[in-house]
Amino acid sequence: MATENLHRLVAARWQNSFTRLNQGQPGITGLLAFSEAWTLATDFLHPCDLADLESRKRFDMNKVRSSTEILSKSKMLPLLLENFLEDMRKNQHLITRDVEAFMARYEETADPQYISQLVFRLCEWYSAWCPIPELGQTILHAYMLNFQTHVFSVLPPSFSNGFKDLVSRTFDISRSSTPPPWLNVPSVFQTPDNPSRADYALWAAFEQLGLLERYESLISSVCYEYIESHILETCTGKWDEQMLKPLRDWMTDNIVPWMLMPYARGAKSANEARSMLQGVGSRFDFHVCKTLSDLRTREIFDIIVDYPDSVPALQDLKECLQRVDQRAQLVQTLRKANRKRLLHPGADTKDILTQYVSIIRCLRIVDPPGVLLFKVADPIRKYLRERSDTIRCIVASLVGDGESGDSLVDENEPIQPLQQMQVEDYTDPSWEPEPIDAGPDFRTNKPSDVISTLVSIYDSKDLFVKELQVLLAQRLLAITDGNFERERRNIEILKIRFGEAALQVCEVMLRDMTDSKRIDQHVQSQQDLPLQATIISRHFWPPLQAGNFVMPGQFKEIQDEYAKEFNAFKPDKKLRWLPHLGTITLDVVLKDRTINACVPPLDAAFLELFSTKDRWTVDELIAAVGSVDRTAALKALSTWVDIGILKEEEDNQYRLLEVAEAESDIVHKPPPTRPVPAAEEVPTALTVQQQQAEQMRVFWKFIEGMLTNLGALSLDRIQTMLKIAPNYNRTIEQLAAFMEAARREGLVTVKDGMWKLNRQ
Amino acid sequence: MEQLTTSLAPPRNAPKPAVAGAHSESAGSVTKRLGNELMSLMMSSSPGISAFPKSDANLFEWAGTIEGPAGTVYAGLTFKISISFPSNYPYAAPTIKFDTPCYHPNVDITVGAICLDILQDKWSAVYSVQTILLSLQSLLGEPNNASPLNPDAANVWDSPEEFKQQLLKHYRPIDDTSA
Repeated sequence: MATENLHRLVAARWQNSFTRLNQGQPGITGLLAFSEAWTLATDFLHPCDLADLESRKRFDMNKVRSSTEILSKSKMLPLLLENFLEDMRKNQHLITRDVEAFMARYEETADPQYISQLVFRLCEWYSAWCPIPELGQTILHAYMLNFQTHVFSVLPPSFSNGFKDLVSRTFDISRSSTPPPWLNVPSVFQTPDNPSRADYALWAAFEQLGLLERYESLISSVCYEYIESHILETCTGKWDEQMLKPLRDWMTDNIVPWMLMPYARGAKSANEARSMLQGVGSRFDFHVCKTLSDLRTREIFDIIVDYPDSVPALQDLKECLQRVDQRAQLVQTLRKANRKRLLHPGADTKDILTQYVSIIRCLRIVDPPGVLLFKVADPIRKYLRERSDTIRCIVASLVGDGESGDSLVDENEPIQPLQQMQVEDYTDPSWEPEPIDAGPDFRTNKPSDVISTLVSIYDSKDLFVKELQVLLAQRLLAITDGNFERERRNIEILKIRFGEAALQVCEVMLRDMTDSKRIDQHVQSQQDLPLQATIISRHFWPPLQAGNFVMPGQFKEIQDEYAKEFNAFKPDKKLRWLPHLGTITLDVVLKDRTINACVPPLDAAFLELFSTKDRWTVDELIAAVGSVDRTAALKALSTWVDIGILKEEEDNQYRLLEVAEAESDIVHKPPPTRPVPAAEEVPTALTVQQQQAEQMRVFWKFIEGMLTNLGALSLDRIQTMLKIAPNYNRTIEQLAAFMEAARREGLVTVKDGMWKLNRQ
Repeated sequence: MEQLTTSLAPPRNAPKPAVAGAHSESAGSVTKRLGNELMSLMMSSSPGISAFPKSDANLFEWAGTIEGPAGTVYAGLTFKISISFPSNYPYAAPTIKFDTPCYHPNVDITVGAICLDILQDKWSAVYSVQTILLSLQSLLGEPNNASPLNPDAANVWDSPEEFKQQLLKHYRPIDDTSA
């Protein structure tokens, strides 16, 4: 039964297959025709060596076509395909052999021309084995997939390097109409339809082999690198013109035509090409901006140093930053560069200030709202606050110190009052929210002038005004020709900035100078004295360093005379002499010679003493004029020793040379062994720092008093209690530092935050 | 920022008059006088005496410290006092009492009241905190036994051994941390 059924089933199948293959032809003619067609088709498709490619030509294409038709009708195409692919696999070694041969040569020479030859060779293989289109898309597609799979599987890893090299060469090729000699385009690939492009054949080959798809990221990375190297080559260190526009032009002229090949080969019209290039084009444009902004970010410190010559570079950077988000990186780089190159003890405060001002100006170009500036400036401001001479530097540049050529202040900038930190005005119709990367402590500071920014490093402008007084005192006392116009002008300018009230003291100082000229004229008219005094009001001038010595002999007499006349003129005032601030011109009349000298008063005072007695020791001299520094005394004496009026003898004794020593004596005299006193210029006015130290001594007394009577106190309590002390204006941080210093000296102890006097 | 933190602190109230019914218009000048006295006391550096306002909000209440003068039975001991200024100071004397129990003929051992002529009828506006403190310091070594507040102490004054014993029995230094 079963066999019967089976038998019938097989017979039905057989009959079915037979009719399909025989196609209803009489007898077995159909079958014969099919057999012929199959043989022909398989023979035709058989992948053979390129060497005997000619054999293919033998086929009559009409016959091939008709036989494929027969096969297609008999639904035998899948079988044919299977057969074909099997044949292909059997012959793959032919391709592998070629690939290995070319790659071996490439690896030997690293010359990408072998890659191009390999590519063309592979294309030849491809077209040689390619089934005719009549077989239908399915077969073609399967063939392509199979071929590519095989090729990719045999390509060694070094191929991608070679391919990259080859692609990077295409930039040059794309610009010429004839291919370079090394690029041997086989005649089969020379397409007449696009003769203007030498690289057309190569790209066509890439596409045929599916290399474009497979190595897409590689191709774009080649382009990225090409763009990068171009930018680095043309833009590095070139800050005096805007580069972004030329770069974009360069992109249009060079990269876009090249891009047509890999990215828009199928485009029929210019419009179509444009839309195909849009995505990749904007990626490349982004890359241009990114590369340029990276470059400028790396160079930012030097760009700022070069300001204002580097303004175009900054404008480029601004434009780039709008496209790429590299702001955080810029801040980071600049902060790092500042830390490394600016904020260290080796840098002059003046230089730091100059660079800071440049940074302000530069970053205002790059980022007008000032977020970047705020982030970058913070460490600089903190650092400047710690530097002791910052205020002096700023003040010096405020009054336009003659010695330094470039002032921090732009001459063209209008002088305006200091601006206070502004509160946001939300009713302003043009109000804008803070930029998105502004920190929580970001304060919008409206673009204010540089001086306001510098002054705002410190919390109050009082410090500046004080320093200004000190500086003005020094400058006024240094003026000998009675021309105060410059200082007057400065003060007028500063009045605009700091306000009238703050500079009242300076006004008084200036008036003192002119007044003393008048008083002096009056005194001179009463009695002809060889002394010209500058009379200053102690109350308004910063504390001047006290010179505690008294002028001896005739100088004293002259001073007394002068004081008498002054008292007659201004009975309610009293003169207190500050002899060390003057200079004295005197003729020294000795037995054999007269010497004219212009010396500091102490020198003159010592010489005056020698007119009473020939020999003095240093200690005697110091005692005779009151108290002076020993170094200062030695320095004064050395003036006369150098001139040859005094002679130093043993035991610190000095002798007056009434008669000049013979020339030879001087020559043979051993070089003086006395220590050369440090010739530092004594500042005439106490600096703000010294004044502060003086004040701190007073505050210490208060701290001592409260700790004695109130027991242990916390730092906060001490700070509030010190408000009782006059003029106490220290911050709690300053107090903490001070207390810490006192603790190190063993004056106080601290336990659990409570400070206590250290009793023996 | 520093400016910000300091300005965040609530503004200090003007010193409150210590005594009820004080003339507020004169409080300003009294405060000024007390401030000056404090300044001169701080800068004078007299050994063994010191005083300071108890808080910065009220200049009328001070705490003081007196060290026993050398060569007396009080040598080496430290006494805390409190000083309370009237609102019409310096036309009236400040009220002073010992916080540290002080065994002394002119000092009340329990409440610390002091019997000293310049603090009562002999007061004059030329006196200052500093002179008061100096007077108190010398009072320790030279008591006025004629008008004793503490008769026991006056009685044993002539026998220093016994006096010292009594003194140390009552003396309890005030701890710093309790202030």
